[in-house]
This record gives sequence, C-alpha cells and structure tokens, in this order.
Amino acid sequence: MRLVRYTYPTQRILEPSSRFQPSPWAGLESEIDRLFETALGGFTNDTASNRFAVDLYEDKDNTYVRAELPGVSRDDIGVEMVEGYLTITAARKAPPAKEGAEEESFSFSRSISISEDIDTGKVAASYENGVLTVTLPKREETKPRKINVAVK
Amino acid sequence: MALLNTLIPSLARSPANSPTDSQRPADLGRTVKPAYEVKETPEAFGVTVYLPGVAKEGLELTAEEGQIRIVGRRAWKQPQGWTSVYRESSDAAFELVLSHDNAVEIDKIAAEVRDGVLRVSLPKHEAIKPRKITVS
Repeated sequence: MRLVRYTYPTQRILEPSSRFQPSPWAGLESEIDRLFETALGGFTNDTASNRFAVDLYEDKDNTYVRAELPGVSRDDIGVEMVEGYLTITAARKAPPAKEGAEEESFSFSRSISISEDIDTGKVAASYENGVLTVTLPKREETKPRKINVAVK
Repeated sequence: MALLNTLIPSLARSPANSPTDSQRPADLGRTVKPAYEVKETPEAFGVTVYLPGVAKEGLELTAEEGQIRIVGRRAWKQPQGWTSVYRESSDAAFELVLSHDNAVEIDKIAAEVRDGVLRVSLPKHEAIKPRKITVS
C-alpha cells in the first residue's frame, strides 16, 4: 500500500444517479489524468528547479522584493545589491535520508534588475513564514516631489 | 445531448480545478496546489509540503475517510499604498488532497510548520506494518 496522488473525481463519478448513463470511460479518464500529472509534474515542481517565485512591489519611498523561500535557514540566505541588480541566494538543507548518508543540500539563486535608483546603504531584509522581504529605499532625488510654482 | 455526452465524455466533465466536494471549505475559492514530497519508512509516511507565506494560524489539516486535506491560507496581505510591479506568486490559498486507502492511523497524525514548510507524519496502521513472525 502506498499514498496515491489524489485526482479529482470526474463529474460522472460524483453523480452516479445523473440522468446520463455512467460513462464507460470514467475510470480511464481519471487514469489518463493521473498519468499526465505524474509525467508532467516534474516540469512544474518548484522545489526541483533553482528558481523561486519573486514579487516586486513599490510604494512612494521603497521598492520591495518578496521571494518565496520556504524551509531555508536565515544563515543560508544571501542578499546582494550590485550595479542595479539584486541577487538573492539561498540553500535548503535537508537531513540525510538514511543513516550515514550525506546531507542533502539544494541551492537557489536569482538576480532581479532594479531600475529605480536605490540607496544601497539602507537595504534591509526580513524573513517570515518562508518569505523573504527585501526593502530597497529609493534615493531622495528620485522620489516624486511636488513643487509649487507661484504664478504671477 | 445524452448521446453526445456518452460519446464525448469530456463534455460532461467538470474542470479539474473546481472540485465539488462537500468537505471543502466554502470560502476557499480558487486554490493552487503546493509543491510536496512524500517519503515512506516502515513505520510511517512523511509528507513535506512547501507553503511559503502560510503561518500556523492559516493552516487547516483535515483527515477524512480515506483522504487528508491540507489547506493553507496566506498570512500576508498587500499593504495599502503598495503597488505591485511584477508578480510571480499568487494570492490564492494552497490546497492539497492526498488519498491514503485508510492505511494511516488518523488519531496519531502529527504536524509541524516552520518557515513555510509543513511536515506531516502519518503513522501507518498496525495492519500494514511489516511484521516479523517467528517460526517455532
């Protein structure tokens, strides 16, 4: 016995008393669905690729980068800002699967181009619930400023 | 129409991402399936689910007849004044349903969440554990 990947039941399985005859294909349908999901699942598996989801936000003082890095120790996160590129590196360490086996380690890295002029000295980062938030303060001179012009 | 549906079953099928289970929380809406791993030892199954942005409070674990449902709602909301420039993640909650043939001791399921990773241990039912039988 083993855990079987769950496939959503088709409508026909859910409604056996529907006005239609039960489809002779219902079992085959879910079997094919499952086959596709197992075969294609590897392409969308985020844990197996070294990319991670990144969001970019902005308000009037800061640019924010939020990176989804579940299960990473704070010591293994590196944030670097070089010439308009923000680079985030992280490593996830899993305990050895078997006794005596080597520790599994997986590293991620991503660079994001930041077009805004950033005050690199004041970049801050926090990590909560597996999400890293990097706050990049905009430089004073690039902030939108309201200038009142007196019309004579 | 009845004949057409029999010939082309796909017309009668509901979209795969909108299940009509009665056990599903009503307010959930559209969900995404999280990345997960399943490992097996002689005593238990271990499931690791990656749920970035989900705190302990937003997590629901439901054990039902033959299946386990994990729902994770994101703790973080976009604050006022923040405009999104570029998005890759989704605001939708995570949902994962695993079926397990009742081979799991539901009363002994243990789960812990840390840094957006949920680890669930599902101890196997006595009946399916490997047993050594001494021959007398």
